[in-house]
Amino acid sequence: MSAQTFDWRGRSIPFRAGESLAAALEAAGILTFGPDALGQETRYFCGIGACQCCLLRVDGVVREACITPARAGMKVEALEGQP
Amino acid sequence: MIEPNVIVIGGGPAGLSAATEIARSGYVVEIIEQRESLGGAIHRQPIEGVHPIHQAAGPKARWQALAQAFAAARIPVRHASVFVGVDGDGRVLIENRRTERVEQLAPKAVILATGAVEKIYPRPGWQMAGVSTAGGLQVMMKETGLAPQGRVLLAGSGPLLIAVAAQMARLGNPPVAIVEAGDPMRQIGPGFAMLGHAALLREAAGYLSEIYLRRIPWMRGTHVEAIEKEGESLRATLRRHDGSVERVTVDRISLHDGIRPNDFGLPKETMESMTGPLILRAGDCREALGAFAAEADGRRVGRAVVDILSGNRDCAELDRTIERARLAQTTLAALFAPVDPRPPLGQLPDETILCRCEGKTVGDLRRLCDRADRLTGREIKHNGRFAMGACQGRFCAANTAALMAEINPDAPTPSSEDLTGRRWPVRPISIAALTGATSQNTENE
Repeated sequence: MSAQTFDWRGRSIPFRAGESLAAALEAAGILTFGPDALGQETRYFCGIGACQCCLLRVDGVVREACITPARAGMKVEALEGQP
Repeated sequence: MIEPNVIVIGGGPAGLSAATEIARSGYVVEIIEQRESLGGAIHRQPIEGVHPIHQAAGPKARWQALAQAFAAARIPVRHASVFVGVDGDGRVLIENRRTERVEQLAPKAVILATGAVEKIYPRPGWQMAGVSTAGGLQVMMKETGLAPQGRVLLAGSGPLLIAVAAQMARLGNPPVAIVEAGDPMRQIGPGFAMLGHAALLREAAGYLSEIYLRRIPWMRGTHVEAIEKEGESLRATLRRHDGSVERVTVDRISLHDGIRPNDFGLPKETMESMTGPLILRAGDCREALGAFAAEADGRRVGRAVVDILSGNRDCAELDRTIERARLAQTTLAALFAPVDPRPPLGQLPDETILCRCEGKTVGDLRRLCDRADRLTGREIKHNGRFAMGACQGRFCAANTAALMAEINPDAPTPSSEDLTGRRWPVRPISIAALTGATSQNTENE
């Protein structure tokens, strides 16, 4: 197991090399990714970058969790900050 | 760097076989792939150090052959790159997710091979966290080599549910049950017709024997009527063919009601263009027939592009393999036909979400459709924000169009394209990235 982590809303999430943000959050038992602009919860859904349901803010940039590889030190937030 | 003659969008079976075919004829071809690995959803590669999950022998062998041929052709791949669209001047725009910049290319031809998306019928609660598509659950297993955690319910229709259940079982967490709208065991005609498609039948038999061995309930003639939150868990209401209702409490629910082309926002096919590249579609994004057909279709489209570029305008002959795959898919659809006709979308309660991106409900659509002046699909989008969100209508346009037709049966039947229209960007992109677009030549200044 590698000790690499990224920051998810203040929590340190470990990941394996090559893993997507969605896979690492899933392994950490995190199912809901926080609110979008309408206040609806975002979450992993299609896994292929199509549905836009798993949008997150990665170092300030909006990205799909399912196609974005996790990197050490990333700051990952919900689309619309803390609820 | 040499500017490619042909670019292929998508590194799945169709894209890889098309690119290999083109490279063999001496043209410079490049693949644009959104992920760091190739294979598409069907052949999603595991991360480093992880064993690939169990897969039937047929698809496994096909991937090995395809990957080998592709590697031998030494075709460059732009990874972490998302196709944005073809602009008015015929330039192809690619968002490089590593550099956060948009790159412009001016190829002679573009092959779109963006695969399929899953069809998901709306049910109350389908938008909640913990609910994913079954394909989404499967690619996650392929990537991580791990089964999803907790109690999982698979629901919808089709052979994919059985494959996912068998793969979950192999990884140590079989699903609580498979809820299947059809009853393939009672479909005698299509069952016999399946005998003509031995490879598919062998694949299905392998997964099915796993289901029986592990005693995973396969509830046929049943559908998930509603999903509710129950504390941290999800409670699904299942309705059987005989009208009886059962409730199960689980941690995750994965839905799948078939596949359809992922052709949203893509440019039109064009075989001759004065200003821009030729544009062709290959594989599931042209016609959703699955990986086997997609690979054959990729070869066909690859050859067609070579024919056109080399001035031999004879259209390549349609591969017989594709015709066979079409027959197989028709048979499968008959085999998994719902026991009860799918309840009309009109029976869904008002609060059911139809369009997740914009949070628009069945009730919102009813109110729009009850106006004295009938709205077209386009107007439903503009006035009601259906299919206007970030997913470009991939998961709601068809359902919205179907419900519109149910509410106003005498109005002209709307199609999903009436709602979505056809325009780029294919994916949301920041204005900053777009205005900073660079062409290949100025990139290294």
